[in-house]
Amino acid sequence: MAGLLILGSFGGNVALAKSKKPKALPTGNPSSPITLTEAGSTLLYPYLEVLAPQVTSAYPHLTLSPAAGGSGLGIADAIGSLTTLGGSDAYLSAADALANPGLMNVPIAISAQAVDYNVPGAPSYLKFTGNVLAEIYQGKITNWDASQIAHLNPGVTLPNLAIVPVRRVDSSGDTFIFTSFLTATNKAWANGPSEGTTVTWPAVSNELTAEGNPGMITVCTATPGCIAYIGVSVENQAIEAGLKESLLQNKSGKFVRPIESTITAAVAAGAGSTPANLTQSLIYEKGAKAYPIVNFEYLIVQKKQKTKALAEAIRTFFSWAIKTSAGATPDNLTAVDFVAMPAVVIPKVEAAIQKITG
Amino acid sequence: MITSEGGAGQSAGSAGSQARRAVRDRDLTRRDRLARLGFLVAALVPSGMLLFLAAEIIREAIPAFTFSGWGFFTGQIFSFGQLYAPTLTHHNGVVAPHGAAYGALPFMVGTLACSVIALAIAVPVSVGAVLALTERVPYRFQSGMSVFLEVLAGIPSVAYGLWGVLFFGPFMAAHVYPVLASVLGFIPLFRAPVGFGEGLLTASLVLAVMIVPIIAATTRELIRTVPILAKEGALALGMTPYETVKVVTLPYVRRGILAASLLGWARALGETMAVLMISGNLLDRLPVNIYGSFSTLAASIVDLLDSALTDATGMAVHALAALGCVLLIITIATNLGGRLIIRRASGGVPLPIGRGI
Amino acid sequence: MIRHLRDLGFWTLCLIALALVIFPSVSIVISLVQQAWPVLGWHLFTAGTPDDGLQNAILGTLVLCGGILVVTAPVGIAGGIYLAEFSHLRQGSWIRLGYETLAGIPSIVVGFVGYVVLDIELHWGFSLLAGILALSAIVLPYVVKTTEVALLQVPSTLRDGAIALGLSRLTTLRRAVLPPAIPAIISGLVVAVAIGVGETAPLLYTIGFSDQNPSLQPFQHSMGYLTYVVFYWISLPSKTDHELGGAAGLILIGMLLVLIALGRLVSRWTSRYSASMLS
Repeated sequence: MAGLLILGSFGGNVALAKSKKPKALPTGNPSSPITLTEAGSTLLYPYLEVLAPQVTSAYPHLTLSPAAGGSGLGIADAIGSLTTLGGSDAYLSAADALANPGLMNVPIAISAQAVDYNVPGAPSYLKFTGNVLAEIYQGKITNWDASQIAHLNPGVTLPNLAIVPVRRVDSSGDTFIFTSFLTATNKAWANGPSEGTTVTWPAVSNELTAEGNPGMITVCTATPGCIAYIGVSVENQAIEAGLKESLLQNKSGKFVRPIESTITAAVAAGAGSTPANLTQSLIYEKGAKAYPIVNFEYLIVQKKQKTKALAEAIRTFFSWAIKTSAGATPDNLTAVDFVAMPAVVIPKVEAAIQKITG
Repeated sequence: MITSEGGAGQSAGSAGSQARRAVRDRDLTRRDRLARLGFLVAALVPSGMLLFLAAEIIREAIPAFTFSGWGFFTGQIFSFGQLYAPTLTHHNGVVAPHGAAYGALPFMVGTLACSVIALAIAVPVSVGAVLALTERVPYRFQSGMSVFLEVLAGIPSVAYGLWGVLFFGPFMAAHVYPVLASVLGFIPLFRAPVGFGEGLLTASLVLAVMIVPIIAATTRELIRTVPILAKEGALALGMTPYETVKVVTLPYVRRGILAASLLGWARALGETMAVLMISGNLLDRLPVNIYGSFSTLAASIVDLLDSALTDATGMAVHALAALGCVLLIITIATNLGGRLIIRRASGGVPLPIGRGI
Repeated sequence: MIRHLRDLGFWTLCLIALALVIFPSVSIVISLVQQAWPVLGWHLFTAGTPDDGLQNAILGTLVLCGGILVVTAPVGIAGGIYLAEFSHLRQGSWIRLGYETLAGIPSIVVGFVGYVVLDIELHWGFSLLAGILALSAIVLPYVVKTTEVALLQVPSTLRDGAIALGLSRLTTLRRAVLPPAIPAIISGLVVAVAIGVGETAPLLYTIGFSDQNPSLQPFQHSMGYLTYVVFYWISLPSKTDHELGGAAGLILIGMLLVLIALGRLVSRWTSRYSASMLS
């Protein structure tokens, strides 16, 4: 917490000191070829794959080379300067931010997470609350015909089948936002495993683990009775593979799907209070239409880059990526079910981009 | 290709010739001595690397051992703690994230279980296969067999893993494990559910395939050294080929097979990628039954290293180093054990190194 | 009668064991071919992983082969020469124990230390050099061992003759001992490369992965290689990705077979060569 406050106030001071509008640092096509390497979030990866060829056609000397591996890897690689950019669905922890004051998380889009299941004979859009999901992942609800699930889904008959909760084995931003949701909705979860890119999962007899979002789909498809949390960027593939999407209860008690309108509603509720260091959770936001598991997709980057040219290339990429007329086009975003960042947040992101120097 | 033809050169039998060749300083010119020094430095590089690796991993591991104490070996929970929590835990003078616990028991049990099952299968199969080959198969097929063991030794771990994921695991889960569960269901460990093919038994079986080349190649060399007169004598006494094997061949090679088994075991203990791909990756839990998901020391290091780097206190990396440290000590001990046994057993058969080469 | 039944039973079991040894490798090849079949074609060699090819990974694996040869050939051969030609019995057995033990340590330990020390502490980032060094620690013992064995096989008459002629130790080595051993030493290097090609654990964290072709920059650049594709692509959800993983596995095994054939060829040449030396 202390770390967040320190960083936050620091950002504020800089803004005060330069109250007259500073001249923007240059961006543009690099004079010689530059490759920006990225590794991390498997939720963000499909989006970066969409952006990569487009940024090169906009700036022929700029290449984005994304790789998957999980948000933990993204954060770790950014901390160790192993890659230029570290993709993460989770912002830096206060401890990491304090230990690595040179790092920033820069959001480039908004994403959400679906909860999918594989129950033979069950219809799509079963309803869940965060509390029920937390009890499933604690092993307190173990069967699909349990009364708590039946209570939420009147008129639906579910089979007497063991629930197989699947969780990510790698360090994952999806785990972070999912456990944040459980923490927000279930006392025992908040006091126990709590939230994190990896947490101490309670022992559940049928649990399975999977590597990356793709692995979640693979394992869940192969396992009748499974329930899994899956990033929306691969949700189409999950549905194609035969998984079914659920409705989650939001803070107003309504059950909603992760679609553009519900994600935007959640962002609208939270966006006004985004701090200067851009570290903000959009989990369980207020609003009748708001979807409860929504998050910023971050690229974590060192403020101080080795060369001026590299810093300029990174600024060029970021500036391009957040413009709705360039990288963040509706076509690009809907390809992975992301939504654009709200207008009120953009100036804060632009200010962050200006801090990347050589 | 090297072991079979050149092996004897390194054996105890050549000790004499080597001693005879041992170089006396006064025979050497200055350039010779200089060159010898260069060669010596090069010869010490592997040992140097070994010491460096061991020293580094021990250095990295010490804070985790200090933090957990004996709990590192008896604890069942391995968790990096709440990396997003504002508070830290202090224990034994070391700082770690809130809720951190480094108990390696499930990994150690998983490592031992799958390597022991693999060994229990690989040893009889290798010995049986080599006996069939040397005593029963026409001679002209035998050189083909050595190529074959080479291929088996050379197939990359990830290819074994891929095979386990795509074909072997699902096949066993669909056709073999259900039968096993119903026949051996009276033993709790063998009871259903049989899962979908990723877990302890699948990983053990694939590991068994991977260590066959080590054991089989050595056994083949050992059997070649059995005195032909003893065998013929036994046959002349009217023994059946089986009895000859039992009375003459096996006692002669027993010790060598034990040594080769230890080497195979060391390889099984340290195997990473294949196990990672087919273990089902159940961290910090003991498997529910023999088909269940689990994890090993080696596989969990790969799985957790990225998360570990996000721990700002650095303890998570130390904890993984401690896992690596335990693994390193176990494998070195097993390896040395195997080599000590064969040095005393002699018989002139050198042990393969690493993957069975 | 019972004795003969027992005999029959025993040998049947042995033959079953033989079948159990043969079955997996046949099955591995068949299942990889099946898996890779839909994507097999020239585009695997002409397109990179973003376009469902393997060019970047194949090139990366070749770069790694070259790298480990450059590092391990001089060190390993020199070490082998010391053991075979200069070491005293007791000292030699200690040195030997060193490389034998190194060959037996789990490859992930090498990867872990490489990552923590080279990539992080020395700030090399994902680094080709870190990957090559980690891989070299794995294959060096094989080079030392095969060189030593190759030299010990050279008939000592050659050595004694040269020394009797008054040649220095070094000249004896260069003129008389080394030439007949070279083919066997080369086949040892081939083995080392074969093993290096198939490793994954030492590389995952030291060298990362890149979908671009190798840049050959030693520091701060990740690089693609085949074993990563086998390991990671299978966990991706699309069917094409799974098939590409199979294709990468198939190419790896193809490389392995070529290398083993090469090793055979060289060692056949060895035996002919040393026969002619003796006559």
